[in-house]
Amino acid sequence: MAVYRRSASPRFVLLLLVLTAVTLLTLDERTGGLGVVDSARDTARDVIAPARDATDSAVRPVANFLQGIIHYGRLEEANTRLREQLAAREAELAQVADAQRERQELLDQQRLEFAADIPAVAARVVLASPSSLDMTVEINRGRQSGVSPGMPVVSGAGLVGRVVDVSRTRATVVLISNPTSNVGVRLASGEVGVASGRGSRSALEVDNVDPAAKVAPEEPVVTSGLQQSIYPPGIPVGKVRTARVPPEGVQQEVTVEPFADLRRLTFVKVLQWGAKP
Amino acid sequence: MGIRLKVLFVLLVTCVLHQTLFAALRWRGVGPHLLLLMAVAGAMVGEADRAAVIAFLCGLLTDLFLQTPLGLSALAFSLVAVGVASVQSSVIRSTWWIPPLTAFFASSAGIVLYGLLGAIVGQSHLVRPVLLLVAVAVGGVNAALAPLMVKAMSWAMTDRVQSSFAR
Repeated sequence: MAVYRRSASPRFVLLLLVLTAVTLLTLDERTGGLGVVDSARDTARDVIAPARDATDSAVRPVANFLQGIIHYGRLEEANTRLREQLAAREAELAQVADAQRERQELLDQQRLEFAADIPAVAARVVLASPSSLDMTVEINRGRQSGVSPGMPVVSGAGLVGRVVDVSRTRATVVLISNPTSNVGVRLASGEVGVASGRGSRSALEVDNVDPAAKVAPEEPVVTSGLQQSIYPPGIPVGKVRTARVPPEGVQQEVTVEPFADLRRLTFVKVLQWGAKP
Repeated sequence: MGIRLKVLFVLLVTCVLHQTLFAALRWRGVGPHLLLLMAVAGAMVGEADRAAVIAFLCGLLTDLFLQTPLGLSALAFSLVAVGVASVQSSVIRSTWWIPPLTAFFASSAGIVLYGLLGAIVGQSHLVRPVLLLVAVAVGGVNAALAPLMVKAMSWAMTDRVQSSFAR
């Protein structure tokens, strides 16, 4: 039998809770990254970190297995394609090794490797955002490893994002695909613009590109590093996916596909650049 | 064990599961929202005022691990919990499909409300077309987990008051 005991004052309780929530929201907004609120967040993250590590080790194989089942058809297809590619690549291996040696020599000579002169902290991505609406990841390095808010984060392929929150042992990285992310970029043609995130499955959108500029698909895009930029110059961001000038448009509509696979990040580097220690 | 201790126990276990196991098991970035589900389940089995407080705590714990302002989820979850408790009070006869259905709609509403309230406090990036899709997906997964959570909350919140979903 359904029994319901009439509540004494749900409206009063709700009013109190709403007022408390609004107070907390205001407090969080006013302190702007300082104070009790952030200390509570840091502590919570540090406390849960060991449990996350343990779960990550236990769950990763299961998650990989489940993903394997879900994507079985695609995997089988990819497997066949990869076998064919492997045969072709083996034939090219000798040439590649030679080219690699030459490339390394060039890099050593001209120091063209991106961000090579910026000290970096290697980190492992331990978890995606617990929210379905945030494009952030958590890494296993924090304040004690020299990570600070604002530091750029890169993978071997290119720019990943920047650190927004740091606790003692953990840091939160907002990805360049997050709608709040804006990156000053330079196209291969020399044009500069601002690449904004549009969600995890969408390309970045570049604003402020002159409609007269010639922008070609597949054109590489790097960070511009203009004055007061939060990213150092020359970090690969992605390649142009589409570029078109809308009728009577004052700027081009350019989309950029990030080089880094932001949905499958494992290891990243935090560049100790720009942010004060 | 008293109701408060039991609720606290369920809250902590749910929080750890939400932040660890269920955060790792996601499909295209979307997964269950256990703390929101707990808030909804609390409203299904308990009184409105108590459910609102539990939902508020669930929201605060959620906010601690997000970049959005502290109190945003707490506010959204409390409102959803009171809404669910109000609707629940008019249910005369319970059937097995009511908890999953309630969890689906309430969880979806919670996500949408979170986005809308977020936009009001300056988090405009939360309101975009994918919000509805995420809301429906979270609602669907939460609906599947609802029977378990309702059982857990029935155990935690049952003292003298017997819930319609306790059995």
